[in-house]
Amino acid sequence: MPERYPGYDVMSKRDTPSWNDATRRVIDARLAIVDAPTFLNEQEWLTLRAICDGIVPQREAKVPIAAMVDRKLEEDYRDGYRDARLPPLREAWRRGLAAVDAAARARQGVAFHQLTASARDALLKDMQEGKLDGAEWDGMPSALFFRERVAHDILAAYYAHPAAWNEMGFGGPAAPRGYVRMYFNRRDPWEAAEAPAGSVDETTA
Amino acid sequence: MSLGQRPGLALFDALAVVGAASATAFALRRRPAARAGRGQARDATVTAARRLNRAAALIATSTLLDSGVEHYRGNFHNKAMITPLVVSALTLAVSAHGLRDKRKFAHRVRDPVYAAAAVTGLVGTGFHIYNIGKRPGGFCWQNLFYGSPLGAPAAVALAGLLGYYSERLRGSKGGTAPRVFGLPAGRALAALTAAGLVATSAEAGLLHFRGAYHDPFMFVPVTVPPIAAALLSETAATHPRKPRRLTRWWLRLTALVGFLGAGFHVFGVGRGMGGWRNWSQNILNGPPIPAPPSFTGLALAGLAALGLIEEHPRA
Repeated sequence: MPERYPGYDVMSKRDTPSWNDATRRVIDARLAIVDAPTFLNEQEWLTLRAICDGIVPQREAKVPIAAMVDRKLEEDYRDGYRDARLPPLREAWRRGLAAVDAAARARQGVAFHQLTASARDALLKDMQEGKLDGAEWDGMPSALFFRERVAHDILAAYYAHPAAWNEMGFGGPAAPRGYVRMYFNRRDPWEAAEAPAGSVDETTA
Repeated sequence: MSLGQRPGLALFDALAVVGAASATAFALRRRPAARAGRGQARDATVTAARRLNRAAALIATSTLLDSGVEHYRGNFHNKAMITPLVVSALTLAVSAHGLRDKRKFAHRVRDPVYAAAAVTGLVGTGFHIYNIGKRPGGFCWQNLFYGSPLGAPAAVALAGLLGYYSERLRGSKGGTAPRVFGLPAGRALAALTAAGLVATSAEAGLLHFRGAYHDPFMFVPVTVPPIAAALLSETAATHPRKPRRLTRWWLRLTALVGFLGAGFHVFGVGRGMGGWRNWSQNILNGPPIPAPPSFTGLALAGLAALGLIEEHPRA
């Protein structure tokens, strides 16, 4: 598949004036995340991975999204705000993962991670539309869980990874060096160069 | 990553500061009395002309470095953006030549170079006005703040005009009153310098307003130079018989302000994230270090005008 930013690797900025020690430390730690759970139990982990596959399908598993969400839970790194109908971060995820798995077992008789891709996506869609309900949800609206936790945390994890930055030509943290040529169609030498117009198929890229 | 050109910039800035410092020191050291003595009386017009060469040299240094940094930032997107570098360098070169030249006639290379610099500066100002106008929003505050600065090419024109005046002074016939564009040279020069001081002050005012006057010293370049312009204008208009000491000292203060301004801007660059270690960002995005010495150059031109008015009865 042709890349929108051919040859661009944000990590080539690592040892340039663009990044300082604090930035390097943060990104190094992010890249060192191993694709295995440290907080969730085995069943929760399998369910989370299946949800991640449904929300952000990856041709090659470049970003360990589930593990990044798991670390967020391990650190209990909260947003600093929350819809009062949702319990705090860890409790929301634990309850939501168990409820999604229970919904799969009730419908198809198998665990959520064992669903076919289409059955999985149909169930996620029902959750998005608030159609999932039951004792496992304990009053937590499934649509709210989808929007505030599933979509929010999974997308935030994906786009926090340098591999995702390369895809969209993002320069990573502007710390300490930012950008100086701040006008339309101008580019600093340390910015990603976009492929010429028409060279990338918009339907697949 | 094309970082190849960058180490030179730090050197340029260092040179700018050193250059401004030595020029100011030189200007402040020279006593007006020196011109009359030493046996052969040096003609007042040549003395004034050489002072103007010095003022033009300082302004040209400022515009050379400033346009170099800013047009590098603009990637020399338009090929014409190399012009102020070439013209400023030539102005600097002929000014250095003029500073050493005590002869009483216009030089056949210096004169056209200065005239060309004046024209180039005016054309450049037109370019910058056009650039602001074609940006989305046209002549709005946003574009005046962040578009091409109007005052920068005008400084190239000022350096050229001061040089052009100096050549007219040298070319004036002995015994007659030196004139420029039909006006008595001293008053014409005072008017040009005062206008330059006010315009440069307006530019500083606009950009310091953009910077929210976050440092009280940012008010200095919008207060001291306009007062210098007013004092100089008053002196030129009234032609007093006795020397105006306040005008002279206020112009010296203005010269010092331009030099100190570069120092403040060095400090300002260091306040950016990462400080001077992050110079490749902060020199371009921070306050322009080579810009303030333009005030020093204009103040030196003002002192030349003052000297001419006081020494040459019909100027």
